[in-house]
Amino acid sequence: MSQPPERYPLHLWIVEENHPLVAAWQARMLARRLHFSLADQTALATAVLEVARNIVRYAGRGEVIIRPYDDGVEVVARDAGPGIASVELALTDGYSTGHSLGLGLPGAKRLMSTFEIETAPGAGTLITMRKFPRAR
Amino acid sequence: MMNFSSIQKLDNLLLVSVPRDLVDDEVIQLRRDVLNAIRQYKSQIILLDFSRVDICDSFFGRFIYGTSQMTRLMGAKVIISGLQDAVIETMVELGMTLPDVDAVLDLDDALALSRSLRSAAVPPLAAGQDDDE
Repeated sequence: MSQPPERYPLHLWIVEENHPLVAAWQARMLARRLHFSLADQTALATAVLEVARNIVRYAGRGEVIIRPYDDGVEVVARDAGPGIASVELALTDGYSTGHSLGLGLPGAKRLMSTFEIETAPGAGTLITMRKFPRAR
Repeated sequence: MMNFSSIQKLDNLLLVSVPRDLVDDEVIQLRRDVLNAIRQYKSQIILLDFSRVDICDSFFGRFIYGTSQMTRLMGAKVIISGLQDAVIETMVELGMTLPDVDAVLDLDDALALSRSLRSAAVPPLAAGQDDDE
């Protein structure tokens, strides 16, 4: 790669509508550097896009932090938005308070190797998720 | 980044090259452009070509699904094509199987389908009055 390596952890503000796309791209770049398969790169980038779009949609602004973790990638997504009243419900397929297919959070969870969420009404949302490459 | 001339008429197909990255406003605009083009060209099949797309989250899924519903209400049909393997894998894992939307592998198959539809001579549903929003 011709560009100098980014310094990790990479902190990305999620404010504008196109920022989730930037975050997804950055996650993909790190995964590529770690020799993830194309499928694993795509799964990771898609999960990052889901949680980052949620930040814009529900919280207005927040942050995504991307860094290597062992042989995988760790992504932290946090915001000080309204939080989620029922995590259980939010992680249910087909449940949506917004305008999506309700696949965002449960989908991101499925696409990642680990997925943890800390949230409460009025207390913002903190998601920590990791993706490790699958054996090929 | 967005290229609105990415909608082209091809036979009775409307070929829509879906941009790599979409944000909210662009989705709405692209959809309007598609609906206008359907009316203008009286297209029966709208082919959403995803070959430039390397990531497809639930937001994209909503775009596909919504466009397919609106198109159906205009008497036309959405078919998607050109999905990359890794994208397909992720979509299915995401739970986004879009059961109501037909897909073809590539443009060749889309053209074949469009010709078979034409030879079956199913008259397109009459488009309503020209009531542009």
